[in-house]
Amino acid sequence: MNILVGFLLVIGLFFFTGGAVGILRMPDFYTRLHPAGKLDTMGQLMAMGAMALYVVGLDLSLASVLTGLKILLISVLVFITSPTATHAIVDAGVRAGMEPWTKSETEDFRDLGA
Amino acid sequence: MRIIGLLIVIAFGSLLRYGVFFFPEWGDPASPPSLHVSPHYIEEAIAETAVPNLVTAVLADYRGYDTMFETTVIFAAGLACFMLLRVLQRQVPECRLYRHIPTGITLRIEKGGKLPTESGSFERIDSNWVPHDLIIKSTSRFITPFLQIFALYVIAHGHHSPGGGFQGGVILGAAVIMYAISYDLRRSIQRIGEQATAVLGSAGVLIYAGTGALCMVLGAAFLDYGALAGLLGVDPVMARSHGMLIVEIGVGIAVSAVMVWIYYNLSSAGRHDEGL
Repeated sequence: MNILVGFLLVIGLFFFTGGAVGILRMPDFYTRLHPAGKLDTMGQLMAMGAMALYVVGLDLSLASVLTGLKILLISVLVFITSPTATHAIVDAGVRAGMEPWTKSETEDFRDLGA
Repeated sequence: MRIIGLLIVIAFGSLLRYGVFFFPEWGDPASPPSLHVSPHYIEEAIAETAVPNLVTAVLADYRGYDTMFETTVIFAAGLACFMLLRVLQRQVPECRLYRHIPTGITLRIEKGGKLPTESGSFERIDSNWVPHDLIIKSTSRFITPFLQIFALYVIAHGHHSPGGGFQGGVILGAAVIMYAISYDLRRSIQRIGEQATAVLGSAGVLIYAGTGALCMVLGAAFLDYGALAGLLGVDPVMARSHGMLIVEIGVGIAVSAVMVWIYYNLSSAGRHDEGL
């Protein structure tokens, strides 16, 4: 059980690291939100799953299963709210007239019909 | 004027810095709080107040006078925002946007134009936030009940777990602010008006101070909840626990209402017309 918990935690940390690198390395606002929204959600799913498993694995009783379920509920909450928050931030960026990064600098954002 | 302000800030800042020199060392085991106060709290709190969470026992009972004025400070912050920002005379905005709900057509009405009647088929929309944000609206509608129940849990369960009136009040206020952000400010003000926030904010502080005064009327010291034992029908130790719950509820009401009040004034620059 501990091996599985450790494995999930490492995977979660991998996603978190990817998210952090992405936020630092991506070229503009919109692309930075991509790792911030997606990889953090995935990373926390792994980390919360590991914690729930750990709690249940300590002693299998009704109380520990309930605690595990509560931890998983945090995951559900983040799964609902994190993409919505990212969506709202992107929307605000578009409203504020922020143009997405393009490699060639020739494409105009306004030509995309937004 | 600015120079005078700077001088005052520097004078008071150095006075405070000077005062800090007289403080005991950080974490000094020989300092008076560590010698007399902390051991008493740690050893006697459960026996004296029946509250397992020491932080709440110290905050709402032993140092209840301090916390009462913290609540007052929060109320004063809301009041200050109101005094500084609120524009009381009605100004007609430069232009208003209305959406015809069945067709989705947006009307732009300049200053002085005829406004659509307040029927069900037109809704006013903010001039800087036009799109239908279905995702944000449905998510906030889904999350809000959970958020409010969690806030009530945090307020009521502050005795046994981390939490209390301040934290729960902020969460409760955040639920209303989320509604105002995801829909619009006017709709939120229709539900919880400015008067309601002001009245609730002061009522919360009044509950706190009134509980303290009631203890005084019953012959004990101000905020000595043990005196409420007769009224609540429990023994004095339990009465202190219940007294803390009463003031925490007061704090929760005050904090949540003041958060919403501050948001109304800050987000619309005091006009209460178009929000964020």
